[in-house]
Amino acid sequence: MTRDGAGGDATSRGDAQARRAPGQRVPTRWLERHALAVLGAATAAVLLVVFYYPVLTVFADAVRVGGAWTLDVVADVLTDPFYFGALAPVFAGEFGQVGAVAAESPLGLVGFTAYQALLSTVASVALGLPGAYVLSRYEFPGRRTLRSLTILPFVLPSIMVAIGFVAFFGTNGPLNDLLAALGLGPVNLLFTLEAIVVAHAFYNAPLVARVTTAAWESVDARMVETARSLGADPWRAFRDVLAPQLLPAILTGALLTFIFTFMSFPIVLALGGFELATVEVWVYSLVQELDYAEAATLAVVETVLSLALTYAYLRFEARQSGGGRAANPPARKRLLPADPSPGAALERLGVLAYALVVAVVFAGPVLTMVVESLTGPNGFTLQYYRFLVERQVEGASFQTKPGVAVRNSLLFGVATLLAALPMGVTVSVLTARGGRWARLADVAAMAPFAVSGVVVGLGMLRGLVFGVDLFGHRLQITGPVAIVAAHAVAAYPFVVRNVAPLLGGVDRSVVESARALGATRVRALLDVELPLVASGVAAGAAFAFAISIGEFDSTVILATGSSSYTMPVAVERYIGNRTLGPATAMGTVLLAVTSLSFVVVDRLGGRWEA
Amino acid sequence: MRRRTVLKHGATATLVGLAGCTGAGDGGQETTTTESTTTESTTTGETTAETTTRAGLSGTLRVATYGSFVDAPSSSPGPWLKEEFEKRHPDVTLEWQTPENEVNYFIQRAAQGVDIEADVYVGLNVDHLIRIDEQLGETRLFEPTADALSHYGHVKEGLKFDPQNRAIPYDTGYISLVYDESAFEAPPTTFQDLLKDRYQGDLIVQNAKTAATGRAFLLWTVNTVGEDKYLDYWSKLKDNGVKILGSWDDAYTAYGNGEAPMVVSYSTDQVYAHRQDQDLTRHQVGFLNNQGYANPEGMAKFASTDQPELAEAFMDFMLSKQAQKQIAQLNVQFPATDWAPLGEEFQKYAKEPEEPVTFTYEELQGNLDDWVDSWARQIAGGR
Repeated sequence: MTRDGAGGDATSRGDAQARRAPGQRVPTRWLERHALAVLGAATAAVLLVVFYYPVLTVFADAVRVGGAWTLDVVADVLTDPFYFGALAPVFAGEFGQVGAVAAESPLGLVGFTAYQALLSTVASVALGLPGAYVLSRYEFPGRRTLRSLTILPFVLPSIMVAIGFVAFFGTNGPLNDLLAALGLGPVNLLFTLEAIVVAHAFYNAPLVARVTTAAWESVDARMVETARSLGADPWRAFRDVLAPQLLPAILTGALLTFIFTFMSFPIVLALGGFELATVEVWVYSLVQELDYAEAATLAVVETVLSLALTYAYLRFEARQSGGGRAANPPARKRLLPADPSPGAALERLGVLAYALVVAVVFAGPVLTMVVESLTGPNGFTLQYYRFLVERQVEGASFQTKPGVAVRNSLLFGVATLLAALPMGVTVSVLTARGGRWARLADVAAMAPFAVSGVVVGLGMLRGLVFGVDLFGHRLQITGPVAIVAAHAVAAYPFVVRNVAPLLGGVDRSVVESARALGATRVRALLDVELPLVASGVAAGAAFAFAISIGEFDSTVILATGSSSYTMPVAVERYIGNRTLGPATAMGTVLLAVTSLSFVVVDRLGGRWEA
Repeated sequence: MRRRTVLKHGATATLVGLAGCTGAGDGGQETTTTESTTTESTTTGETTAETTTRAGLSGTLRVATYGSFVDAPSSSPGPWLKEEFEKRHPDVTLEWQTPENEVNYFIQRAAQGVDIEADVYVGLNVDHLIRIDEQLGETRLFEPTADALSHYGHVKEGLKFDPQNRAIPYDTGYISLVYDESAFEAPPTTFQDLLKDRYQGDLIVQNAKTAATGRAFLLWTVNTVGEDKYLDYWSKLKDNGVKILGSWDDAYTAYGNGEAPMVVSYSTDQVYAHRQDQDLTRHQVGFLNNQGYANPEGMAKFASTDQPELAEAFMDFMLSKQAQKQIAQLNVQFPATDWAPLGEEFQKYAKEPEEPVTFTYEELQGNLDDWVDSWARQIAGGR
């Protein structure tokens, strides 16, 4: 597979070294020489057990109904105007019907889902890019902390985000109070397409900002200076020199956003109203009704679309990289300009306006959730936090304890980070050399985020939790190790997408010099390449930790009947009969614990980075 | 043809003062412990009898249920049931299980021939039974138990929803409207009212595909307007600005935040609102056409259990006077039997419809999926 290129290379060079230096250091040497191959094999094995096998068993439901192979369900779905709108008659070969169907339901469920994902992506990029600019180009107190926290929205359980959004943007919420104080009319944002788009931007703009910031911090400023000294104006220098260096990262953010929002469902369910249902909402309810054949067919459609996009993107990425550069970012500006000019003032004004938008979209819902946790029917109260303490101290064994949830979340988060970083870096290196096969392998390795969470969850339930009969023994996998493996599989594509584009941009000659001087492939990677792309590795690490903290579907399934639940699971379980109080209190605990962890993860990563 | 079944059951109102207990309504707090001790004395005879007849029982009883039955932050019957059952049977340990996918988890296991590691399931409704029978065919997931239960005679006739007597009802909710009195001159009283201009944008309901309350409300409309006309009715309801949210929590939260003055919920709404000292004018219960859609919850014994006697003892305990009272009050639902000594709070704040309606198993079988699916296709898709 993908390992051939780099791995083979390492082996031939290693043989020569082994002859030169026999003795007691052989085992470590062997390991160092074969590290990439070993890690590659381990990654493939984990993927196979925790991802490919379970998911393929679910996909098989699409073509195997009642014990017989059939394409009927697939054909029914493809030719159903409810799903495919005007495309359905095209799939059916009834071209005469196109007009009639287009008038009735032009988009269909799939088309509508893609449409809202497109809007959500545009909004996320529009909201995320200025953030990346401010974070990477300005120096101000608390910048690093703020950069660490950009990832926070990403981990917030959708239940919590929905609670915050409904309360903050609601008819009687703080936003409308604020607008009324300014003499502006109330806005009815909830239960509309706009609400979904804004909530999706809440989740994904930080992702765009994060990925782009990492790229911006590793651009080569000398190239810009060279362009300027050759007479290019700032705009032209940006367009011709800087933009191409940033574009892969921006598109990575956009691609991830599109795929996520295409497969979004809890937010759509909570904030949109059923009129705005997406494909994933439909898959979810089909699974609830145990209608696997149709659910699996729709899930395959989703996956094919996501993977096709990923493949197209990777082709683009391959064309972009290979320029060869060393990280040498430009100096940061100060918020208060050293020499005031109209241009500089205007730019600062823009930053201020952006900060206001951020305050409304991000801080608003999150703070509202915190306020809700402190407010009962009769004003300020600590009763919900008292509930958490009581549950921790007195809770029965079958009840969810907050302390256990915090401990599990942190343990799983660290373990996921430790597993996903090597997996992600390995896949990045193994697929970085380009070529059609490498790209296909890359797509295969990216599949974990292109497959619907509902399907992954279902596959795990039937494959790992129920177990597989092997030679008369039922092999079951549940508990902490399975949860960490599942989290690592979900997280490592983020490491890959943060590291691979930057790795592709590293000057090959530097690496080749190191190899010529006798460094193994792994040595060159650790000593030369990774330090050059450190910002990407740190971003990947933060994402890995975040994914683990925020993961819900596979955690609940694999934690069935055990005490391996995490903070988001606890938030969900604390939603009570007619009261959100305990859930918002647990949500606030989650917020505090994860904020602190991100600052720590980033600082530790940053130390290594510097 | 109108598919309506009127529930015939003993009026719970006649039970006023039966047990002489104080109820939980006095301080807005749950006074579970004091209540159970006060009422214990009135039922000693029965308790002793039970203990002697089942004296030999021992072992671990595994009871699966949905999460909030044992682990709700507000109140849930689980902890009380475990403690009390273990007190009555000192050699028995009750172990709660709460699989995330609830009864689907066991249907899937049975379908794949994987062992089932539970003895009793608590929290079945008629939809589940239909799904079980469609998915599993001849494979038996649950076994009929009615004959083995000494208290079965107290179960209200109209709530029995399983023709094969596998699922034994232990409580029921009535789906109704909950509304804010101050928002209306006159609240809607019929289904046709809901289509009027003056109620434009006023109602929040739940998605019938994913929420039990939403499904019940949909079935109620099918029951009332008829199988042939309910889709028309819904398209008018949609034109009148009905908001269809994913879950009961989503809908109730939106209602609580003032997004609309009416929500589909349970007719026991005021019990909880009162406990929380909330303004009851915002928790008025409204029955449409003087009806409420009954959604009984049942329990059943797994066919694969190796402790059938223990499972039956537990199910019988669930139907006992004391358990019926506690389940009703802690789960904020009506009891399924005619002998639960309900507290004053419950008597006063839980409202029962004049005419409870529901579809029977036979009426739903073969129709349910079609009805829900046609409804969903009409609503969804961003059109």
